[in-house]
Amino acid sequence: MTKENCDDAKLMVQIRKGDQSAMRELVERYKIKAYHLALGMVGNKDEAFDISQEAFIRVHKSAGKFNADQRFFPWFYSIISNLCKDCLKRRAKWESKQIDIDDNDFLLVTETNPEKIILKKEAARNLRKAIMLLDLSSREIIMLKHFRDLSYDEIADMLKIPKGTVMSRLYYARRKLAEILGEYE
Amino acid sequence: MRDGNWQKFWVNMSEEKYRILLSGYIDNELSPDEKQDFEVHLEGCAECRKELESFRKLKEVTGAMKYADIPEQVWEGYWSSLYKRMERGVSWIFISIAAIILLCFGSYHIFIDFFLNSEVPLLLKIGIGCGIFGLIVLLVSILRERLFAKKRDRYDEVSR
Ligand SMILES: [Zn+2]
Repeated sequence: MTKENCDDAKLMVQIRKGDQSAMRELVERYKIKAYHLALGMVGNKDEAFDISQEAFIRVHKSAGKFNADQRFFPWFYSIISNLCKDCLKRRAKWESKQIDIDDNDFLLVTETNPEKIILKKEAARNLRKAIMLLDLSSREIIMLKHFRDLSYDEIADMLKIPKGTVMSRLYYARRKLAEILGEYE
Repeated sequence: MRDGNWQKFWVNMSEEKYRILLSGYIDNELSPDEKQDFEVHLEGCAECRKELESFRKLKEVTGAMKYADIPEQVWEGYWSSLYKRMERGVSWIFISIAAIILLCFGSYHIFIDFFLNSEVPLLLKIGIGCGIFGLIVLLVSILRERLFAKKRDRYDEVSR
């Protein structure tokens, strides 16, 4: 069987046995996802890249602890999420001031019309600032819904919370975000 | 609570319930019953209509944006840079083991040569011994503080 057809859990079993090509396949499968998830949480490209790699290193190290009946992605997500939390904690400790998020263009405008682009850029800057002002769990759920377009079931699965909690958490997060954005107008 | 307050409380509770449904409504995640229930409420609730509008706007703003990506060649080199990091991790483990062995070996010999040497005056032995003991206590105390701080960190949420 080729590696491309293997499901994640099977790959994990092979990684546990020390199969380097299985590890590589897993990395190819999830590298962009991992990077985006981290980027949404820490808002900085370099740190997000670093976190994505560190997450794979942890996967490699703790492959022995992975249970084959478990689904890979929620497990992997919890590793990424913990790394992001550690990163933000370190940042809060070392920097008394807020970091300048304007320098870290972690969200870009998709607009190509040059007349509209200036307006959209302004909106993007405000949105970036507002998102980084949210508390972590609000930011997390906003990024998962608005920028990854996951369903409530998928989010519930990743965050290990009931579907109803996804709905309410998303509601309060959106309300906060709309409030912050309202202040910029 | 007085009767009026109870009534207000229940109204607030049900209004809160509809507000939360509002999120599900905009994402198309409600069951047909919930959807109908919410739409009936929406007809008569200006506050919910206003909030729905603000959420729609939010969705529009975020919909016009995407994650900043990194250049293709960085993705192509992703595995090799990761592989190097993993390799380096292994080498650090070996270096640490080597360092610990050498340190133990070295301190054992210093101990033998210095403290069991009858030519060194006793007072000097006591002085240096106290100094080393003090350093060890300090080290343990710092280590314990760091470990404790780490454990506690894990429980409080970052809210910024
Ligand atoms: Zn209402």
